[in-house]
Amino acid sequence: MPPLPVGDLERWRSRLHSRRICLGAALGVLLFLTALWRITQGEWSISLSRVFELLSPFLPAVESETAEALVIRAVRLPRFFAAAGAGGLLAVSGAVLQGLLANPLAEPYTLGIASGAAFGGALGFFFSRLAVTPMAFAGALGSLVLVNLIARKSGGSGAYLVLAGIVVNAVLSAGVTFLKAVADDKLGAIVLWLMGSFSGASPEDAQMVWLGAAVTLIPAWLCGRQLDAVSLGEGQGEMLGIDERKLRRRLLCASSLGTAVTVSSFGIIGFVGLVAPHIMRALIGPSHRPLLVFSFLSGGLMLAFADGAAQRMGELPVGVLTALLGGPFFCWILVKRK
Amino acid sequence: MTETPLSFCFRTLSAGYGGHEVVKGVSASIDSGQVTALIGPNGSGKSTLLKTLGGFLPYRGRLALGGREIRRCSRRELGRLLGVVAQQTVMKAAFSVYDVIGFGRLPYQPLLARRPPADDRIIQAAAERLEIEPLLFCPVTELSGGERQRVLLAMVLAQNPPVFLLDEPTSAMDPRQAQHAFQLMRELAAGGKTVVVIAHDINAALSCADRYLALRGGELIAGGRADRIDESVLEALYDTPFVPYISAEGDKAWHPSSKKR
Repeated sequence: MPPLPVGDLERWRSRLHSRRICLGAALGVLLFLTALWRITQGEWSISLSRVFELLSPFLPAVESETAEALVIRAVRLPRFFAAAGAGGLLAVSGAVLQGLLANPLAEPYTLGIASGAAFGGALGFFFSRLAVTPMAFAGALGSLVLVNLIARKSGGSGAYLVLAGIVVNAVLSAGVTFLKAVADDKLGAIVLWLMGSFSGASPEDAQMVWLGAAVTLIPAWLCGRQLDAVSLGEGQGEMLGIDERKLRRRLLCASSLGTAVTVSSFGIIGFVGLVAPHIMRALIGPSHRPLLVFSFLSGGLMLAFADGAAQRMGELPVGVLTALLGGPFFCWILVKRK
Repeated sequence: MTETPLSFCFRTLSAGYGGHEVVKGVSASIDSGQVTALIGPNGSGKSTLLKTLGGFLPYRGRLALGGREIRRCSRRELGRLLGVVAQQTVMKAAFSVYDVIGFGRLPYQPLLARRPPADDRIIQAAAERLEIEPLLFCPVTELSGGERQRVLLAMVLAQNPPVFLLDEPTSAMDPRQAQHAFQLMRELAAGGKTVVVIAHDINAALSCADRYLALRGGELIAGGRADRIDESVLEALYDTPFVPYISAEGDKAWHPSSKKR
């Protein structure tokens, strides 16, 4: 019998570790550069040194009232943080769903959670503006339960889940169209809300999204090891003493809540939850604790960048751009999986 | 890591899927320190019985492990008591072999604690036992079926539970590896563990096992010492006559007879 490969284990670990450090540093630098781009550029260019002056806590009170200061503090900074937070949140949701359901195609958009949130939110408009977020959450959770139920009753998880997601997506999209048709005076508000964009993101919106991201990320990170075993599929987690049903209930609730927060503030943004975790998994492996953190960073980077690009194209809804780029990526995963 | 040996005892045990009952009122005991083989034709309820023993299916009747009713045990508790290898060995995430063997230590790890260094030694010893150290850092998704089965066996070995429930754990292995795996089961039983195994190769199963339970149509039609099984039991199980062949070393092998009944 050859000796145990103790040295190999150390080498393997340190290689994995240094890869994670390099990727983390690269993502950090890119996020910082994107932030600078988003804050200094726009209809009105503000120099970098001026931005730092205006962001300084020692800024004289007179200067903090200037138009430049307002643009940076109340418009550009919240917009960047909202986009980055929402991207991170959607990516984490995607990673959690893919792990929990052992399905690489799962994400809030493909599983119908996002359209459930859109339907619930649109219904909320008929009661009051305040009902939109709770109704969006109820819609997200409801469609998730429905998709799971259909998948289970039709005899399997795996591909059935995505099929069920497509069906629920189609029905709920029709439902949203129906609501729009009967909305009368609320039509304008619903359409504007559904189109989704970060252009009007307030500091409160940004805070809300980061709160949603924390609600999704923290429990998932804590259960990361369980998620690892569950992501092998075929009930492997259950065999290792993990109560899969309980774990699923908890984490699906958390990621539905997170998705509902993003949808209710910024509309439907698809495919970030698919693309970011997949690229990260290919680079740093499937272990969930690091994967969730890296998905958050890369999802944030992607959406902050996409938002900048969408703004450059004349305030295009950012969801349109992510779907245009993400759709082909989805096909690529399908082909590669085969 | 010492634990008291645990035996199964079940009385009028029935279980199935939805409204469909597959295991129908079986009663038996499965002792520790022995390998017990579940034998029977396809669809006889072997896997269902094994899943029920593992607490994965709702059941009627009594089913106790070491005197405790299975349905009263939490999943986490069962994770420490039972090492389960399922028939299906598809793995959907590209973890390394090392990581997957390490999953066997999950039932012992607190939520936030780091993996203790002792676990590294346990994982490597399990890999060595199943002869998969050369594959230790390969993604499991790139392994063959037989290799994946060895990884799963190494995982339950690292888990070190008092009870092993193995559903066709050698079905994709080559004969040498299968023999190696059966040898491992014998050693586990000799160490006081309870080993329940399903194997379609009745000769391998019977030569490894101390006792057998024969299932047909969800009912237990025979049981006893594996070396005392006779042609009448096998014929009743598989609806075809069997003849024993005895080698010069005295090993007995059963073959379905080519003669019609």
